[in-house]
Amino acid sequence: MSCSSQSRGLCAEISWEFKNVSRLFSTATPLHLCFSGGAVPSDSEATLSPFSQIQTLFRMGAGREVSISLDGVRDKNLMQLKKLNIALFPVRYNEKYYADALASGEFTKLAYYSDICVGAIACRLEKKENGGQIRVYIMTLGVLAPYRGLGIGTKLLNHVLDLCSKQNISEVYLHVQTNNEDAINFYKKFGFEITETIQNYYTNISPPDCYVLTRHTVQSPTKK
Amino acid sequence: MGASLPPKEANLFKLIVKSYETKQYKKGLKAADAILKKFPDHGETLSMKGLTLNCMDRKSEAYELVRQGLKNDLKSHVCWHVFGLLYRSDREYREAIKCYRNALKIDPDNIEILRDLSLLQAQMRDLSGFVETRQQLLTLKPNHRMNWIGFSVAHHLNSNASKAVEILEAYEGTLEDDYPPENERCEHGEMLLYKISLLEECGLLESALEELRKKESKIVDKLEYKEQEVSLLVKLGRLEEGEVLYQALLSMNPDNYRYYEGLQKCVGLYSVNGQYSPDEIDRLDSLYKSLGQQYKWSSAVKRIPLDFLQGDKFRAAADNYIRPLLTKGVPSLFSDLSSLYNHPGKADILEQLILELEHSIRPAGQYPGRRGQYEVALSKIDEAIEHTPTVIDLYSVKSRILKHAGDFAAAAAFADEARCMDLADRYVNSECVKRMLQADQVALAEKTAVLFTKDGDQHNNLHDMQCMYELASGESYFRQGDLGRALKKFLAVEKHYADITEDQFDFHSYCLRKMTLRTYVEMLKFQDRLHSHVYFEKAAAGAIRCYIKLHDSPPKSTTEEDDEMSKLLPSQKKKMRQKQRKAEARAKKEAEEKNEELNAGGASKSGKRHVKPVDPDPHGEKLLQVEDPLSEATKYLKLLQKNSPDSLETHLLAFECYTRRNKILLALQAVKRLLKLDAEHPDSHRCLIKLFHKVGSMNAPVTDGEKLIWSVLEAERSTISQLHEKSLVEANNAFLENHKDSLMHKAAFAEILSILDLNRKSEAVKLVEESTNNFVPSNGALGPIREWTLKDCIAVHKLLGTILHDQDAALRWKSRCAEYFPYSTYFEGSCSSVSPNSVYSQLSKNSEHESSNHSTGSQNAGPIKSNGKLDAFKDLTI
Repeated sequence: MSCSSQSRGLCAEISWEFKNVSRLFSTATPLHLCFSGGAVPSDSEATLSPFSQIQTLFRMGAGREVSISLDGVRDKNLMQLKKLNIALFPVRYNEKYYADALASGEFTKLAYYSDICVGAIACRLEKKENGGQIRVYIMTLGVLAPYRGLGIGTKLLNHVLDLCSKQNISEVYLHVQTNNEDAINFYKKFGFEITETIQNYYTNISPPDCYVLTRHTVQSPTKK
Repeated sequence: MGASLPPKEANLFKLIVKSYETKQYKKGLKAADAILKKFPDHGETLSMKGLTLNCMDRKSEAYELVRQGLKNDLKSHVCWHVFGLLYRSDREYREAIKCYRNALKIDPDNIEILRDLSLLQAQMRDLSGFVETRQQLLTLKPNHRMNWIGFSVAHHLNSNASKAVEILEAYEGTLEDDYPPENERCEHGEMLLYKISLLEECGLLESALEELRKKESKIVDKLEYKEQEVSLLVKLGRLEEGEVLYQALLSMNPDNYRYYEGLQKCVGLYSVNGQYSPDEIDRLDSLYKSLGQQYKWSSAVKRIPLDFLQGDKFRAAADNYIRPLLTKGVPSLFSDLSSLYNHPGKADILEQLILELEHSIRPAGQYPGRRGQYEVALSKIDEAIEHTPTVIDLYSVKSRILKHAGDFAAAAAFADEARCMDLADRYVNSECVKRMLQADQVALAEKTAVLFTKDGDQHNNLHDMQCMYELASGESYFRQGDLGRALKKFLAVEKHYADITEDQFDFHSYCLRKMTLRTYVEMLKFQDRLHSHVYFEKAAAGAIRCYIKLHDSPPKSTTEEDDEMSKLLPSQKKKMRQKQRKAEARAKKEAEEKNEELNAGGASKSGKRHVKPVDPDPHGEKLLQVEDPLSEATKYLKLLQKNSPDSLETHLLAFECYTRRNKILLALQAVKRLLKLDAEHPDSHRCLIKLFHKVGSMNAPVTDGEKLIWSVLEAERSTISQLHEKSLVEANNAFLENHKDSLMHKAAFAEILSILDLNRKSEAVKLVEESTNNFVPSNGALGPIREWTLKDCIAVHKLLGTILHDQDAALRWKSRCAEYFPYSTYFEGSCSSVSPNSVYSQLSKNSEHESSNHSTGSQNAGPIKSNGKLDAFKDLTI
């Protein structure tokens, strides 16, 4: 796997061969997980307010809950995932990312709020070095800013965790920037633990270090 | 049949006929050859062999054999019948009818031939012949239901509805009391409803209603029964009963607009043009309020009041109507409401309303778009895209706004973006194709369209879908000046309509058998006015325009081309020849590849499917080589005159054609029709003055014919009020006086001014340039709107540049319009895709950016920080 073709994505491409990892860190950049609508935090306030109005309208208008559903990613709707990533993460993912996402099958999902695509989880299935066991690497997980706080991220993550337990996949892991406390806390609620700290994982952001968050399936996924 | 043959061969002959009917052609062919071995001149066998070969795609042999067979046995009805069938299979119905008639002379009571003949007569609308044939069939076989029905329908089509009723009644007289049996109840019910509709057509409303009620138990289609009953009651003026029935119908389907309309008629609150007094509006309001209580789920009951309500009540109702649909995210909301923009004052109210709702809704961008405020619309839509970038409709809307704003390339790019977001959606794909054609990207458009066709045989397949894409494609080629391809496409549309006419053939027998008589007659009437359909009108107009252009500037002959070549330098010549050779070689290679593909495909299908021959003239070059383009144009013009007599365009084209052919009286006819349709239209004025200007410049009449024409023109001129006791210049001045404030009328005046007096051209230019683009009086919340439309301004630009030949003025006009229409590519506005700062160039930059990322990977990771330092994030974890 060549490093130069790796994604600059929030979630670095990590080979299952751990010996390659250190080589990757120097080029692969940002951090794992982003729930922000962009790089500028103050945006989030601005983009949140219209949504609250939509919500109000929903409540007074239809008087019904809007359904949240998940749908698979196929070549016909791949552009939706691309659009989400463009909006959520300040980098463009390469073809490998999308090929992995497609290949992961049920492990990559789009989340729909009513009939609007608003979030996604994208995973890659990796073979472990010894014994050929499968583990899941979460490449990205994100929800568009105006649609946060509705449990969509939880639903996406739970879907993947459920799938893991059904298929007896014991290990799920991901990378996250060390200062991203919200993300770390989020994952901890689902049983993820910091298993490793990698120095200088990211090149262009500060802090450049990341944690590896790993969840070994022994307990059932926390559901709220 | 086969009478003249000995028993063994006669049996073989029967086998041929049977094999033909069961489509076992090889077997039939063998039997035929066996007979012909002994009797090589047997006419009927020769004919049947020909007919069999015809079904095996051996056309020329087929005609040969059938002709020979007939020659050998002129007295055989079989031979004539076969000849008729052969013609029928090639859609030569007139010839086929002749053959059948000859066959019937020999065997007048042959039911099969009579039936075949009747089908052709229905198809060709030989209605008196149809009645005759049907009568004969009934006389021969009165115990067949279909023959009674056929006879009745024939009389109906031949405008004798009362006779048709009599026949049906006579037929009913032949039925037992317990008719119909269980399995024929639907058919019988349909027949009864048909009879009642005939009575209604005859004006016998009372007896229609009486008959309807008497036969209620036998009519299976209860909904149709009720609708027919209420229609009769209303026609009879029994409105109270009608009201009750409409209420009953509404309880069955509270979203049927026709029921609401009917109910309004019954309570005396209906006006065709939608104008009501304040008192009527109040009564309508309370009517719909009570209906709304009854039918809470109906959207019609909520939508209809928006049409008649005014002012504050309209505002409140619109607000109520829009909100739930917005929260539901109904993308068609705008098309649903767009008709309201034509009501005075309502556009302003809607605009205010939408602005108030703005923060909570997505499709806000659509509204300003309808009113020509593209900048506002685009910024709204961009805001929406930023809010939720995954909604496909937003990109479609953006594309549509850009199209209206005059930037077709950018519109196509965004339509393509929308398409990419759901590759399984045919609608966004089609919309994208349309935009690409509008942007003159024909090759790309065809490639995109083909994504949704089935086989590899792309163009033919696209054609077979009859989706009329050829129309937009032809228009694009026409804009690009490629007349051959344009003509080819326009004529393909014409072919679609011929096919649709053809398609009715199968229904002549099917519908009589299935008794769907009302829909059958309706279908025939629809077919009779098929060519008045707008797509045909556009295609025919397009073809005529091509021919006119072809006449005005005929394609260069080879000698002229050589002349042009001789003007070039030797090195240039060489380059050009090389270029030509290369192009030829490429075309040849492509054709060969295509042929190979076809052959390969044909082999794999083992000849089962009919392989379409390669189009010998894919670029329409042969179409350009017509002797007399104007006479070709006249063919289509006649169709337009017959089918679209109410369109200005028709007569405008007629004028253009006939003046070029020097058919002054026909041109006069066109002008008179233009004046009758819209005397104040700039084009009507143009044609009128141009015609009499041309007449004035002609030589004095010499021959009797010319003198006659002259006197007709004299007499007619005095009847045209615009020219009454006025010179042409005076008439032109009067026209301007009446339409001082309109740009297009001024342009027409200027054009005529320069034609009437070449010395006043600069005056004409000045006049046009002095026009001011005023603001439309309105209290729109989004700022003022100007009067001029992009289309008109483009027309004026063309007038200045190509008709008045003032390039400086045209340039001045262009830069002025670039201000009014910053998104227009035509005027090269600052926001259009021809400018570096446009939306489109941003888009293409983005995609470049993206593709560079694909290839080079992680060279320059963007600055990123602060992920997760967001309040929003807390919400997510709940």
